[in-house]
Parts: sequence; C-alpha cells; structure tokens
Amino acid sequence: MNILEVKDLDMSYKTIDGDVEAVKKVSFTVKEGESFGIVGESGCGKTSVAMSLLQLQADNGKITNGEIIFDGKNIVGLSESQLREVRWSGISIVFQGAMNSWNPVVKIGEQIREAMREHYPDKTKEENTKKIIELFDIVGLDSSIIDRFPHELSGGMKQRAVIALALSCDPKLIIADEPTTALDVVIQDQILKEIRKVQEVLGLSLIYISHDIAVIAEMTDNMAVMYAGSIVEMGKTDKVFSNPKHAYTKMLLESTPSIVGPKKKLRSLDGEPPSLINTDSYCSFSYRCPSPDDNCRNRNIEMELTKIDSEHYADKCCINCG
Amino acid sequence: MYKYVFKRIYQLIIVFFLFLVTSYVLFDSIPGNAFQNLLLNPELPPEAYEQVIKLYGLDKPLTERVFLYIGNFFQGDFGYSYKHYPRTPIDLIAERLPRTLMLFAMVNIVAFYTGFLIGKILAWRRGSKSETWITVTSVFSYTIFYPWFALMMLWFFGYKLDWLPIGKFLYPEKWYDAPYDSDVIFVSMIKFTAVVSILQILVYIFTRNIESLNLRRNARFAGFMVLTIASLFYWNSGDLLIQKPYAMDIAYHMILPIFTVTVVAFAGTALLTRTTMMEVMKDDFILTARAKGLSQRRIRDRHAARNALLPVVTSFIFTIVTIIDGSVLTETIFSWPGMGQLILQAVLEEDIPVAMASFSFIGIFALIAHFIADISYAYLDPRIRIQSQG
Repeated sequence: MNILEVKDLDMSYKTIDGDVEAVKKVSFTVKEGESFGIVGESGCGKTSVAMSLLQLQADNGKITNGEIIFDGKNIVGLSESQLREVRWSGISIVFQGAMNSWNPVVKIGEQIREAMREHYPDKTKEENTKKIIELFDIVGLDSSIIDRFPHELSGGMKQRAVIALALSCDPKLIIADEPTTALDVVIQDQILKEIRKVQEVLGLSLIYISHDIAVIAEMTDNMAVMYAGSIVEMGKTDKVFSNPKHAYTKMLLESTPSIVGPKKKLRSLDGEPPSLINTDSYCSFSYRCPSPDDNCRNRNIEMELTKIDSEHYADKCCINCG
Repeated sequence: MYKYVFKRIYQLIIVFFLFLVTSYVLFDSIPGNAFQNLLLNPELPPEAYEQVIKLYGLDKPLTERVFLYIGNFFQGDFGYSYKHYPRTPIDLIAERLPRTLMLFAMVNIVAFYTGFLIGKILAWRRGSKSETWITVTSVFSYTIFYPWFALMMLWFFGYKLDWLPIGKFLYPEKWYDAPYDSDVIFVSMIKFTAVVSILQILVYIFTRNIESLNLRRNARFAGFMVLTIASLFYWNSGDLLIQKPYAMDIAYHMILPIFTVTVVAFAGTALLTRTTMMEVMKDDFILTARAKGLSQRRIRDRHAARNALLPVVTSFIFTIVTIIDGSVLTETIFSWPGMGQLILQAVLEEDIPVAMASFSFIGIFALIAHFIADISYAYLDPRIRIQSQG
C-alpha cells in the first residue's frame, strides 16, 4: 500500500524578480516500509519537496498545483490546525544541520516531550520520559542526555537525538533531509546505519534526501533524480544505478569515484543549473546536455517521464540524446 | 558556579569601595563648602556645630575624611542632614523610599511587560499592516520629548477631562484625620504587592511540571483566581480595612504617572524585542518547532520570545535602578516627593550627608541588580553557565 502519493506537485516562491518555480510537476509514490531517495545538486528543489510535504515552506512559498495524498487523505489545502495533527505524528522530518535544530535554551528531553504533549495530551510525564529513554536506547544515546542542553552534546549526539525526536510521536513516514551534512565520515556512517536500523525495526517509510549519490545507493529501495525542480529519472535504485538513462544521472554517477572496477577518469558537468524563474515546460537539461540531438537543441520535446520498464522511468527528451 | 558567585561578590565589594571614594571626592569638590551651609542654618546651635565638626573631622584634610567617612559608613553612621538638622539621612530616606519604590516598581514592570508583549507580537506579525502602524507609533513615542509629553498628559487627563488628579501622591484633605502616616500605607502596599508577585511566581513554577497543557492552563487560572480572592479578603480584614481607602487614594494618584511613563518607555523595549526576535525567528529550531506541530502561540512564546529575552532583561536591569532613585523628571512633573527629589534637593543645597547616603544606597542597589542580572543570564542562557564555570 502507498503511504504517500505525490501527484503533479507544483510549488513556487514569490520573489521580486518573479516566481521561482522550485518544484515542477513532481510525482512519486512511497510504499509502506519502503525507503525512497531523492538526489540532486544544491538548489534543485529537493528540500522544497520535503517542505511541501509538511507545508512548512517559507511564507512566500506556495503550492500552486497538485495533490499530496498521505495515508489516503489529500493534505494540500488543509487548515493550520489539521496540518498540525499530520505534522510529526504522521510525517516527521530530520532536518539538515542538527546543530541548529535544537532550541539552545531548552533541555533536550523537554523539547522531545513538548512534541509528545502536543500529540498525546493524555500521557503523563513519566510515560513520556520512559518512551524517550526507549528511543534513546534505539539510537544509541545514554538516558542522561534527557537533562542536557543542546550545547552540551557533540554533533553526532545531537543528530542521534534528532532522530529520536523524529520518532517520538510514532510517525508513519520520516523525511531525512541530508541528515549527515556537517558530520565527519565516521559519524555519517554511524548515523546512516542508525537510520537504516530504526527504519527496519519500526517498519517505517523513509524519504531520504541527499546530494550524495553513494549514500542514496546504500540507503534506498527506490529513488528519483531531480534537476531544476523536476524529476528526470526515477525507479528502483539498482536499476537506475546499473542502467542510467538520463544524461544527468549518468554525469552524476561518473562524477563519483568507485572503489571497484577499472580506474576511470572522473567527469564533471560544465555550466550552471538554470534559473528557475519563469521556466517553460521543455527539457531543462538541454543547455548542459553533453550530446544533444536536434530535438533537444531546439527544445521541441516537453518534459515527461516515460516508462523504460516496469520499475524505471526517465525523461523523454534525454533518452533519445543518449 | 559557586566559585563564580564568590568571585563576583569580591569584585562588587571593590567596585563599591571605589564608588564611595569617588562620590565623596566629587561632592567635596563642589564649589562652596559644607561649613558655610552649616553656619547658615539658624536652627543649629554653636555647640552642635562644634560637635559635628569634631565628630566627623570636618576640619581634617580630604584624604583623612574620606577614610573616616567610609569607616563610619560601614558602622552604619551616616551623620546628620545639614538642612534638616536633627534628622539623619537614613530617616529621610526611609520616609521617601517607599513612595518611590511603589511607583517605580509598578512603572518598570508595566512598561517592560507591555513592551515585551508588543515587541513579541510585532515580530510575529512581520509584514502586516498592524505591524507597520504599531512600529511607527512606537518610534514616535520613543523619540517624543518626555517632559512636554508628561505635561500634556497632565493637562489632558487632569485638567481637560478631569479624570485623574494633577500631581501629588494623595489628596491632603482626605488625610487630615487619617489614623496612619502615608509611609505606613506605602509599606503595606509594597508588602502586599511583593507577596502577591512571589505567590504568582510560585504558582507558575509549581504548575510547570503538569504535563497536560489544558490542565496546566486551568491550574494557573485557578491559582490566579485564588490569589485574587485571597487579596480581596486580605484588604478587608483588621487594620487593612481602615488602611484601604487611603491605599486606594494613593493607587488612584499612581495611575497617571504609570500610564505616562509606560507610553514613553514601552517603545524602547518593544523595538528591541522586535529586532532580536526577528533574528531568532530565522533560526532552524523555529522550523523544527513548526514541524513538531506546536501551536503558533507556543512557538512564539516558548521558542522565539524565550531566546530574545536576554537583551531585554539586560536593558531592564539597567533601568531597574530607577526603582530606587526614581526619576527626577517624573517626580518633579507629577510632584511625587520621592527619592529623585530628595537627591536633587540634597545636591542643590549641598546637604552632603544626605546626598552621600542616597547615592551609596543607589550604588548598593545597582550593584546588587547587576549581580542578579549576571546570575539570571546563566538561567536564561545555559550556554553562559558553562563558560562561567571555567
């Protein structure tokens, strides 16, 4: 069963220069217990997708079109109080930069309890504390952390505590938005294992957002590649990696070193991502396409995902370019 | 932490000592001298004049006198007022202080609370029309020329509308056959206010651990109601029943000064709160709080405003000294015979013992206020606690 279905989601930010279309016609589904990855470069709209799911985008951001069906219910256009119920107990989020996710003047335990109080108003303090200790146990934290202030914790501990916070209200879906940014590789690895473990133990659905394609390969069952606000390739993670169809995905893979196989020169992509102000519906990658054909160069083909096989889709234009 | 507290106390003592020496030397260097003032007082008999000079060594050189004064000071001997001879400075201060304390404690609390509340709402409603208007009004009242504004308020509310009394802190005709001195009434009012505030804070602290938010709100409301009813009973019992009409008279006279100072003083706090809070609202933990599904009000109060409190408390501590020294301008305009006027008179008339005693008193209070500020910073921002341990 699908826990989350996103259909034709459009989201744009109003700015002085015009509307920035950060998310364009994004559709994907996340099944129960599945982990879904979204990969793409900075500014491609990954975080905007995550924020739209909880409708936490900045004040100037607005969902202009599309549906987000969470647990069988469309949550676009719900009132603030209805959204508050979905937030955290339905969908919770692990933000990028755990350093700043904590209020510096409130104890960790109190900040977790605060969320629980909102969603389970009848529980006592002891019950809540017991649950926090259990969660801390899962993510590998000592129970004494409850009475600590955020600044007394190391970066890795804070991130673990953030994961415990995300689990505190029994969400059905967790969004992990680059949860390992600003951590060193050893801690990164530990945190990733922790997330993986939690997801398997509790049978949660996970949306993992990252710019690091290697992490996506390790963490996810299905994945989507985003470029300039649209999904350009989507499918089973193995299939996307073994048989990338979109030129951008190929470039992403070739820009990452591999420890197995013959030594290959890493490639980088020339040019910059396009401006997202007043875009059209034609292939957004054509300006940077390494081997464009005539259709691509003249921008004749509208963006649309086409089926390659039952679990693999890619953008129409770029399949032809090769 | 204890080490830190002791270090601060030790520093305070040194600062206070320097403060005493500096004030004494400054007062001594005012042109004209104390002897002339003493001689000009016709009520002072010559033998007393000789005695005072001997007692305090007024014929000795300055360096010696400073240390004599400090020695006497720590023995609780402040000398006699030159102007109101047999009365001591302590006596004069004891008469004036309750008046100032009552008025300016209220003024400060009302002004800062209003300022913080308005600043909080301004920051939260960033970009709305009401925000623009209130900000413009705040800047206007922040920059207004205070004495003129106070006189206008007196004219409007006291004369034009005739709702509130013009000046003074009581109606003398009401007090002709009063069984109590106004000081007694002031003291009972201060006692009452202090006890009620402490109880209110205790209610707040004890209800903090109630986990259910609804229950907590109800418990706080119940506590507030109990306190209100208890105060009604309190003011209708025994002695206080007789004191009540006089206390009401004083309270009635306090309305206009409190209102006037609040209108001028709230704006500074409001603008400061607005700026700091807007900075805090950009932080990621506000987003976390929203994602947690907390109510807007809770995010505003608990997360945004709580982190914007530090600079506001700092500015509050700097103004809190006015609780003791009053404000000469306010006291003069509203003819409120408090500490501010006492100090002004003492300095103008070179009544040095009174001036010195008042200044020392204010100095002690200011130093204690700053000490409390340092301690409360550690409470408000746990990150300071760590640094101060090292």
